[in-house]
Amino acid sequence: MVGHFVQQTVNALTIGSIYALIALGYTMVYGVLKMINFAHGEMFMLGAYAAFLALSLMVGDVGSAGALALTVAFFAAVLATGFVGVGIERLAYKPLRSSTRIAPMLSSLGVSLALVAAIQILAGPQPRAFPSFFPNERFEFFGGSLTTIQIGILIASFILMGGLQILVTKTRIGIVVRAVSESRATAQLLGINVNRSISMVFFVGPLLGAAGGILYASYYGVMTPTMGAVVGLKAFTAAILGGIGSIPGAMLGAFILAAVEVAGTALLPIVSFGTLGTEYRDVLAFAILILVLLFRPAGILGEPVSEESMVYKREF
Amino acid sequence: MSAQTLADSREAEATGSRLGRRLAAFLLLAAIVALIAVTPFLPNYYIRVVNSLLIYVLLGIGLNIVIGYAGLLDLGFVAFYAVGAYTYGLLASPQLGLHLPILVILPIAAAIGAITGILLGMPVLRLRGDYLAIVTLGFGEIIRILLNNLDDLTGGPRGIFGIDKASILGVSIARPGEIFWLLVVTVFIVGTLVWRLERSILGKAWAAIREDQDAAKGVGINTTNVKLAAFAISATIGSIAGVIFAASQRFVSPESFTLQESVLIVLMIVIGGMGNILGVFVGASILILLPEVLREFAEWRILFLGLLMVTLIIIRPAGIVPRTLGPVRLVKVLFGK
Amino acid sequence: MKLRAALMISASLLATPVLAEEMTIGLSAPLSGAQAYFGNTWHNGFKLYADALNKAGGVNGVTINYNQQDDKADPREGTLVAQLFCDDDDVVIGLVNFNSGVAQSTLPIYDDCGLPNMTFGSNPSLTQQGYEYMVRPVANDLAGALLPAQYALETLGAKTAVIVNDKQVFGQGISEIFGKNFKDGGGEVLDTLAVAPTDVDFSAVLGQIKQMNPDVIYLGAVMPQLALFARQMHDQGVKATLMVPDGGYTPEFIEQAGAENVEGATVAIQVPPMDASDAIKDFAAKYQEAYGEEPGPYSIYGYVQGQILEEVLKTTADLSREAMNEALHNVSVDTVMGHLEFDENGDLKVAPSFLYKVEDGAFVLIDQM
Repeated sequence: MVGHFVQQTVNALTIGSIYALIALGYTMVYGVLKMINFAHGEMFMLGAYAAFLALSLMVGDVGSAGALALTVAFFAAVLATGFVGVGIERLAYKPLRSSTRIAPMLSSLGVSLALVAAIQILAGPQPRAFPSFFPNERFEFFGGSLTTIQIGILIASFILMGGLQILVTKTRIGIVVRAVSESRATAQLLGINVNRSISMVFFVGPLLGAAGGILYASYYGVMTPTMGAVVGLKAFTAAILGGIGSIPGAMLGAFILAAVEVAGTALLPIVSFGTLGTEYRDVLAFAILILVLLFRPAGILGEPVSEESMVYKREF
Repeated sequence: MSAQTLADSREAEATGSRLGRRLAAFLLLAAIVALIAVTPFLPNYYIRVVNSLLIYVLLGIGLNIVIGYAGLLDLGFVAFYAVGAYTYGLLASPQLGLHLPILVILPIAAAIGAITGILLGMPVLRLRGDYLAIVTLGFGEIIRILLNNLDDLTGGPRGIFGIDKASILGVSIARPGEIFWLLVVTVFIVGTLVWRLERSILGKAWAAIREDQDAAKGVGINTTNVKLAAFAISATIGSIAGVIFAASQRFVSPESFTLQESVLIVLMIVIGGMGNILGVFVGASILILLPEVLREFAEWRILFLGLLMVTLIIIRPAGIVPRTLGPVRLVKVLFGK
Repeated sequence: MKLRAALMISASLLATPVLAEEMTIGLSAPLSGAQAYFGNTWHNGFKLYADALNKAGGVNGVTINYNQQDDKADPREGTLVAQLFCDDDDVVIGLVNFNSGVAQSTLPIYDDCGLPNMTFGSNPSLTQQGYEYMVRPVANDLAGALLPAQYALETLGAKTAVIVNDKQVFGQGISEIFGKNFKDGGGEVLDTLAVAPTDVDFSAVLGQIKQMNPDVIYLGAVMPQLALFARQMHDQGVKATLMVPDGGYTPEFIEQAGAENVEGATVAIQVPPMDASDAIKDFAAKYQEAYGEEPGPYSIYGYVQGQILEEVLKTTADLSREAMNEALHNVSVDTVMGHLEFDENGDLKVAPSFLYKVEDGAFVLIDQM
């Protein structure tokens, strides 16, 4: 029983940290531009495909790649995805910055469609086996089992999240970005290069997303062109749950969502005396999200948003 | 009102010469007339494509009330579509052994749709913007998962098949050509009603909420009731579209009511022009007809569609048809003042 | 219309220049999206055979054109494609719909316009609804889940099973049948757990299963979930024997899961091993040569369906839909997978079934019926 509990806790933490890495990208963009970047899930997918491409360019047979090649591929892929993110912002979102709030979101939906289709054309629609970036060993641990990849994912995501938190709160870049998110107009008056700060956000967000994508593909051993959509929706939900715009909120939301999913699977049939099976897990997750938002309309850690900034259409 | 006229004059400047506007308006009207006049004589495949287009137009008209008029982003609209489709599926098939005629089911489905809309609306209308969007998205997913899991009632993933052919007063409404006329009549009636509604006092209240909720409250508009009305009416239309969908496919399954469908309808509205009935036609035409025309290109058409979407939104962020170009203005532009 | 002309031209370029007569077969399957690989490789198997027939001058002078359309695994798209075929008088037979859900929405349309079709959807209910123009040249799920249950009970000596399904038409249907067979044979089904078709993480479900400690786990789902589940089963230390349906019969199942993680897993499919006979070896080699890749899991079905079409063209009175339907229902043909005939519902009279086990990273045939 203890083993079972330990096991499910480890499972929830692993899932949660993957959600968190992606949720951070949603929340950062939202913090600065008040825009939901629907193409963010695709950054996650691109990260995995870019790493795969880099590996096959370097070593040919991807499965036999050594530690050096894997490291190089990892960094090359996350940087490349970061630059893709910046490019997409320039082309598809920047022209819409003074437009309605809904326009850039829908533009990002278009980008998301196009990216998935492009990868399906280039790499084929079928799932591909993805090499393991970490050696996979299994440990027995208080009656549960734990793999090195799970540990790797936990450590890597905590380092990345911690790094981001330091970047945002302690460095000059972070201060500038926060100033822009507070008020774009004031930041501009203070002489801050707003465009550069926004580019910065669109570099770091996709970079983290790509890192998440590589960890994920490496953990599950498979990448697919549509992998971003599924996890992206979960991460987006997590970001909202925690309070979109807030970095600790995104992490908290991710771990809560993961815990609800695991607990839903483990407990739903028991607490409902067998009437509700595991298939109602997502119903439970969404129901909790809705309940939380009803009592805390801006999410768990979200700051109350001024109503004015939430109005969607201003086109005249 | 003054905002409206101001916008009108600005729009007039922006759209270019009167001749150009007249031409554009003429083409739009000609397209709609041609669609109705020519479709019945085309092979069934084309009629089916047009039927599918008209169902989306109907859905677009419904969702437009919430998004375009009241300014609330609803990503779970497909839930109401599903409610209508399953209402018909359950009441006119061997599933429950009931075989009610479509004329009886339509008002039942409309009522269930309205009730569902109010039930969703009541708790969530305190939320604004993105939070409302995610909650409606969650609601849509919950409905789909329920349909997929309540096997005894809905048939689960297998769906409901063997749905009755519809008939109205002894006239069969089952073949694509017959469904077409049902859709034309429904779109016309619903479109006219919604258009009248937009210009009514309720429509003005929606516009007020959309433009500035606090000011709207200030002038004494009961924002909750007005928003609830938007949700209920929109849900009713979605449900009616669902009934016709089920009657034309004679098979419903949860696969038809995914999040992507909701997003597709939102896109139609935004690309076509928010808050405008004619815009819904244009948006639906682009998103439904284009993929059919590009059928042979498989993956490439989705890539193309994605890029086209981005381009269209950048060129015309407020949609192809401006909010002010409603049916009345269309007539004015066409025949001069 | 232009579109069709283009297709006809491209098809006729492949055919011999002197055409006595032509017929068109409508091919529909998901050619884009997540299931595109299955749709494409299935159709490729058919085209391989049809192209060879055309090169040899057709069947009794009749050459085969194909009109291939993407149904996107979506019932609404499926009905549009079905209507497209119905309207086209040149299309006299269809090879349609990979998914049972799509087939369910198109079968009434094909029946309305009297277009004979071979459908791929394997849900048993499809042939029970009285459609007169359809046959199903693949085994339905009743056959697909019989052998695994027998094997689990008799050979493995299993007493308990846990069933996991993806709540889709195929996955849920076939796992229900497995459960019934397993219970009828004296086994006990401890629990049935459902996952979402988009799930990639099964650790929570596996955590539950580990507690129940079953002898076998039957997973009614498709790729890549089969591979993901197998891999995580190993990671979570679940020791039961994994049994999966036909979607797992692909090298990707082993590759994506990791060979050591699927060791001992069983896969049931209607396909004999690719080296089972010279004819099948020959097919695999030709496929490799034509498309530069290994056959997909369903390619050989496409090839067999080409052989069925050849026999239909040999026996049909003329090229009308009515005559083709008559010939299709009465077909009796020796294919690379053995002799094949349809019963009055359009189901196979004898549905072959094979059970494989993964051993040292390869599929080994362990049972058949």
